[in-house]
Amino acid sequence: MENYLQELEKKSIALIREAKAQFKNLAVLWSMGKDSTATLWLCKKAFFGKIPFPVIHIDTSYQFPEMYQFRDKIAKEWGFNLLLAKNEDALKNDMSPKKGRLECCTKLKTEALKNLIKERKFDALILAIRRDEHGIRAKERYYSPRDENFRWDYKDQPAELWDLYVKPSEDFSHMRVHPILHWTELDVWQYVKQENLPVNSLYFAKNGKRYRSLGCMPCTVPVPSTASTIDEIIQEIKTSKTPERAGRAQDKEKAYMMQKLRSLGYM
Amino acid sequence: MSFPRINLVVIGHKDHGKSTLIGRLLYDSKAIQKQKLDEIRAELKETGRKKFEFAYLLDSLEEERKGGLTIDIMQTPFKSKKYLYTIIDCPGHKEFIKKMLTGASQADAAVLVVSAKEGIQDQTRQHAFLAKTLGIQQVVVAVNKMDAVAYKENIYRNTCNRLEQILKNLGYTNVPMIPVSAIKGDNVYKKSEKMNWYIGATLIDTLDRSITPSKIPMNKPLRGVVQDAYQDENNQLIIACKIETGTLKPNESVIFNPSGKKGVLKKILAFGENKEYAQPRESVGLIVEGIDNIERGEVLSHTKTPPKIVKSFSAEIILLSDTQIQNGNEIIIRYGTAEKRCKIQKILSEIDPVNLTVSSEYPEILKEGSVGEAEFTALEPICIEKYSEFPELGRFIIKGKKGAAAAGIVLDVQA
Repeated sequence: MENYLQELEKKSIALIREAKAQFKNLAVLWSMGKDSTATLWLCKKAFFGKIPFPVIHIDTSYQFPEMYQFRDKIAKEWGFNLLLAKNEDALKNDMSPKKGRLECCTKLKTEALKNLIKERKFDALILAIRRDEHGIRAKERYYSPRDENFRWDYKDQPAELWDLYVKPSEDFSHMRVHPILHWTELDVWQYVKQENLPVNSLYFAKNGKRYRSLGCMPCTVPVPSTASTIDEIIQEIKTSKTPERAGRAQDKEKAYMMQKLRSLGYM
Repeated sequence: MSFPRINLVVIGHKDHGKSTLIGRLLYDSKAIQKQKLDEIRAELKETGRKKFEFAYLLDSLEEERKGGLTIDIMQTPFKSKKYLYTIIDCPGHKEFIKKMLTGASQADAAVLVVSAKEGIQDQTRQHAFLAKTLGIQQVVVAVNKMDAVAYKENIYRNTCNRLEQILKNLGYTNVPMIPVSAIKGDNVYKKSEKMNWYIGATLIDTLDRSITPSKIPMNKPLRGVVQDAYQDENNQLIIACKIETGTLKPNESVIFNPSGKKGVLKKILAFGENKEYAQPRESVGLIVEGIDNIERGEVLSHTKTPPKIVKSFSAEIILLSDTQIQNGNEIIIRYGTAEKRCKIQKILSEIDPVNLTVSSEYPEILKEGSVGEAEFTALEPICIEKYSEFPELGRFIIKGKKGAAAAGIVLDVQA
C-alpha cells in the first residue's frame, strides 16, 4: 500500500473505533458517492469485515437511478443493515427543488434525517465530509457536536487535542464523527483504486461529461470530462483548476447557502 | 506522487500577517483554484472593498469576511517540490486560544510570523510558548512586512536577534528566519530582488529543507491502548487495540495495565488477514490466550517492559475557556483511551505566557486561559507516562462538560 494512504487509513480506522466505543447508538451515512463508499469500506475494515451499526441513506427520491441500483447491489454484497431516511410527508406535498433549493434540501435531507435520529435515538453519526471539499467544511472537527435542532456552533467549537477525541458529558444531542476529514479528493480516488472499491458509473465520462460529485438529479450537473477510468479520473484531478463541487447547485446559490445549510444541520 | 505530508501551524501576533502569508503560499503554489479566486474578486467588488487581500482566500464564513479576520482554523493542502503541506491557520485573538491549541496539537511544525514593522509582541511570545508546551519541535520564522520597512537589513537583524533570545529560552535553537513580504510575495515562493543582502533560501525552500515528517516510534518499548473489546462468533474475545509505540508479534508475552492481566498473544487480526506483526498507529484486533475480558483504557505492553502504575504525577497544564481548577479539585483525565479520576494535589505555579516567567508560586486557583504546573494524585491506578519518554501516553486532557477543558503534558511520574 502507498505509505501515505496507509497513514490516512490508520487514522480513520482509529477514529471509527473510537466512535463505536464511546457512543451507545452509532450509524454511518451513505450517499453512494465515492467518499461515503470509501468510509463504509473503512468501517468494514475497522471491524474485521462486518459493519456493526446501521448504514443510513437519506432518500430524497430525486437521486439518480444509477445510485439506487448501486445502493441495492452494495448493500446486498456487503451485508449491512440499511436504513432509509425519507420525509414521506414532504414528498406527499410535492416537495421539490422548484419550491426553492434551501427549502427542498432542508425538508428532504435535514428533516428526514432528524426524524430518523429521533425515532432510532442515534447519539452519533459518521459522515464522510472532507476539509478540502468546501471552505465551510474546512472548519470542522473530527468530533463535532450538534444540539437537538441540529445546529452547529462553528464559532464556539470544543478544542480537539492530539488524538484524544472526547465525548462531552452534556451540551450535545448527537455527535457528528468525521473519519476522513483529513483526506483530499485525490486521496479518495487513489484509495478507491488501491482497494479496488466499487464505483458508481455516474463518475465515469460519457459523451464528454461526467459527474464529479453526486447529489439529486435536478440539482447536480455533470462537468466536461473525458475521464472514463479511475486512472483517468486521478490524472484529471491532478491537473484540474475547478473545484470538486462545481456541479452542485446548493454550494453556489447566493453567497452563503452552504453555510446556512450546514449551520441548520445539513451534511 | 506520494508526497510526504506535513501539518503546519501558522502562529504569531494578531495582524502580523498570518492569513496573508498563508494566502500567499496557497496562491503561489497554485493550490487555489481559479473559480475560487474569481468568486472572491466578484465579492470584493460587490462589497466595495477594492483591494484584493490574500487573507480572503481563507475566510469562508460570512462574518469573517466582514470583520477581515480569520476566526477559526482552516486547513488547505498545498504542494512544494518535496511535501504536501496542510496549513492550519491560527487566529490571533486572545480569546481564541482553544482553536490555536487544536491546530497546534495536530501540527508537525510551526511557522512563527513576526512583523518587521511592529516587532515582537505579546502573542508572538505566547504562541511560541504554547507551541513548545504542546510539543512542537520544529519552528521556522517568517519576518513579515519587509516591504513596510523599505526592505532594510538592520530591522530584520534586530528582530532576529531579539527573537533568537526568546526562542532559545524556550529551547528552540538554530531556528531559520526568513525576511518576507507576504503581500508582495518576496521570499515566500519567489526569491526577492529587493533584499540582495539576504543570501538564504525562500520560506518554502527553507521549510522543505528543515522540516521532517514526524517519525513513527518503532524502536521504543511496546505501548498500545485498548479501544474496545468484541466477541467473535466463537465467543472468543477480540481486543481492539491501537498500537502507539514499538512493534508486536504473535507468540509474545503481553500484559495489560493497570489491571495486570497477561497472556500469550495468539493472533493479530486485521480485515481479511492474520498479521505477522503490528506497528505504531495501527488499530488491530488481538486474541490473547488467558484473557476473556478487558476494559477500554488499559495499556498494552510486553510483559518484560511494562509501564509504571502511577500514584501521582506533575504536569504543565493549559486551561481552556470556561474552566478553572483549584487545589483539592477532583477531576477526570483522559490519556490514551483511559478516563481516570484524579485530584489536583497542589498547584505549583502559574506561568505568564507573555513574559514567559513564573507569575505566581503555589496559587490556590488557575483560571481560564492560564498556564501552570500542578501535582496530581491518582484516585485509581493509572498508567500515564512522562511526555519526554512516551509523548503518545504523556499528554492528557481534563474532561469538562463540553469535552476538553484543559490540556496537560506530563513532566514526571511517581509509582
